Amino acid sequence: MRTSLNEIKLIDGRIFNTNPPEDALLFDAMLLINPELGQQLVWQQKAHAVVKQYSRKKLKAEIEAVHQQLFHKPQHSGFRRRILSLFNKK
Amino acid sequence: MAQQNTFGYTAAEREKAFIALYQQAFPAVAKYVSKMGGTFDEAKDVFQDALVIYYERSATKAFELKMDEKAYLFGVAKNLWAKKFRENMLLDPVEDYEMDLVDEESTQPSNGKLMHYLETAGKKCMEMLKAFYYDNLPVKTIAELFGFSGERSATVQKYKCMEKVRETVKQRSLTYEDFLE
Repeated sequence: MRTSLNEIKLIDGRIFNTNPPEDALLFDAMLLINPELGQQLVWQQKAHAVVKQYSRKKLKAEIEAVHQQLFHKPQHSGFRRRILSLFNKK
Repeated sequence: MAQQNTFGYTAAEREKAFIALYQQAFPAVAKYVSKMGGTFDEAKDVFQDALVIYYERSATKAFELKMDEKAYLFGVAKNLWAKKFRENMLLDPVEDYEMDLVDEESTQPSNGKLMHYLETAGKKCMEMLKAFYYDNLPVKTIAELFGFSGERSATVQKYKCMEKVRETVKQRSLTYEDFLE
């Protein structure tokens, strides 16, 4: 792997606390001599937050698609009636 | 980091799992929310948030479900409902109240522009990063799903994608102040 990808791997290890002790020490030393690495760490944390946001959005869309199936497809009409009857009593 | 959750590895497998969970667990949640004076849409919201929580927890290595799924989802949904009810009492009338999960979104780093860009131009990378970091799938499975010759190629691509997304986040946020909050 090229150097920049190894750096990303090390930063990931720092973020998720999965670096083996020798890599953790190496990373701390690199941080001291290369302040830009600290900035990259911050950007990578932001990138992970964006990935999580994207992923959650996709998962919610999958769940909503399931909901639409269960409440609109004829083969699930029994389930639909059973649920809606709980709210029609009011 | 490999997981062994009950949701499977593909969208089709997840769909099957979510349908089963909906059928097993939603009736009890709907009944409870109805009893507490809530609406169908409120029951749907708390249940879907509970499913997201269950999915995310089950994707972590340390998660071990100590009860059946129906009981777990009911418990989470009940807590979400209680939180929503309490906050509605305090903040009423707040029509656009949002649950924990959505609260998190409001503090998350990207607005629509960046997300739209990544969903279109960077979709393949985002899907791969989702599989690695969010779904926490085994590398071997990811290599197969994304058509890589082996685990090493898939891992290298993961870091290339992370580099690309990191640079996109950086560049876009420096170009447009409103890209990052």
